[in-house]
Amino acid sequence: MATVGEQRITYDARGLAEPHAEAPRTAKVEDGKATFDAHDLSTRQINLELRRLLYEEGITDVTVQNPGAKHSLGVGILTRCKITFDGSLGYFGCGLIDGPEIQINGRVGWSACENMMSGVVVVEGNAGSLTGAALRGGDLVVKGQVGARSGIDQKGGTILVMGDAGSMTGFMMQRGRQILCGNVGPGLGDSMYDGTIYVGGKVKSLGIDCVPGEWTEADTEFVNRKFSIYGLGDPPEFQKFVCGKVLYNYDNLEPAERKLVL
Amino acid sequence: MVERGEPEKIKDIDSEYLSGKRQAYQEDIAEIEDVDLDAATPGQDINWLEDVELLEEEGTPAVFDRYSNSFIRIYFDIPEGRENEIARKVLVKHLQSGNSYGIQLKEKHTKFPQPELGPWVEGSKTVGTDYHPPVLEGWEPPAH
Repeated sequence: MATVGEQRITYDARGLAEPHAEAPRTAKVEDGKATFDAHDLSTRQINLELRRLLYEEGITDVTVQNPGAKHSLGVGILTRCKITFDGSLGYFGCGLIDGPEIQINGRVGWSACENMMSGVVVVEGNAGSLTGAALRGGDLVVKGQVGARSGIDQKGGTILVMGDAGSMTGFMMQRGRQILCGNVGPGLGDSMYDGTIYVGGKVKSLGIDCVPGEWTEADTEFVNRKFSIYGLGDPPEFQKFVCGKVLYNYDNLEPAERKLVL
Repeated sequence: MVERGEPEKIKDIDSEYLSGKRQAYQEDIAEIEDVDLDAATPGQDINWLEDVELLEEEGTPAVFDRYSNSFIRIYFDIPEGRENEIARKVLVKHLQSGNSYGIQLKEKHTKFPQPELGPWVEGSKTVGTDYHPPVLEGWEPPAH
């Protein structure tokens, strides 16, 4: 226990209780690129430093060293820029972003890129469950494996996974595309409204209203383009899955309901 | 365009209603021909615009602006085979021009710093650096 007058340093992964909401201003800027070490910084300080560099200093290329798997890093970045995390992120990393191109040289926890509007996120390792939850646009590339319910409530954009995907992948998917190169767990595309899921491996079982779709030239062009952009080599042979539209029918939606899924 | 009235009873909200006027790029294709979709979006392809398609609002071709939850109607003739491209260009022009109602609200209501014109315009000014919550004149918090 800390004695009177002694400050005890603890690590709070949730980044709560930050009495001084000021950017630490520890970044080094060289040739228009900024780098800072996040090892001794809290979640809030890291995000404040990121925003200071991007919004106040006008830097468009930032590298964050030693992110230490802290949660909620790189969230709410709403500008075109390049961010590199040299290490792993915790949960809700890079959520709510609109515009950045982010490279993560490590793993990510659950709900990475939740509600992403646009941009590119490349994860070199594995990702937890709910990867790309409610994704609205942009590309999310995971070179490892993803957990259960990845792309849940996806409303747009592309999730590309080089490895396997867990159960209930694409649950309640509404729009967008998923390219899953490995095997997929049970309940693929359960209760999906729309969207397209490409699977390169074996599917344990299909969810309700998820059915095989007809492959077209547009599918070939799309898959080849994404593999080429991200230097992933030749794509494997994929099977395409879509919504059978037995459970839901967009045409019957009220105008206000229709807008929610656009 | 739906006329304003009291009480307002409209079921469809379009960009013209929100901004109060129709824009030139809704009526003239020449206004949007020079829009570079690749340059306007992150990554090496059109990125999020891949999900944007030409739709229809009350019988008029339209593109949906998710930043203001409204449709932008298109009144010029759209060449066959270019439907989605035209829809995307109209949307990007709308956003880059700052005419999206969501952008117009930023100056006053944004609580956290962010570029006013979002990721579509380079060097856009930062808004939200000096947010103060609105105060209701004459109101005092109740004593507990």
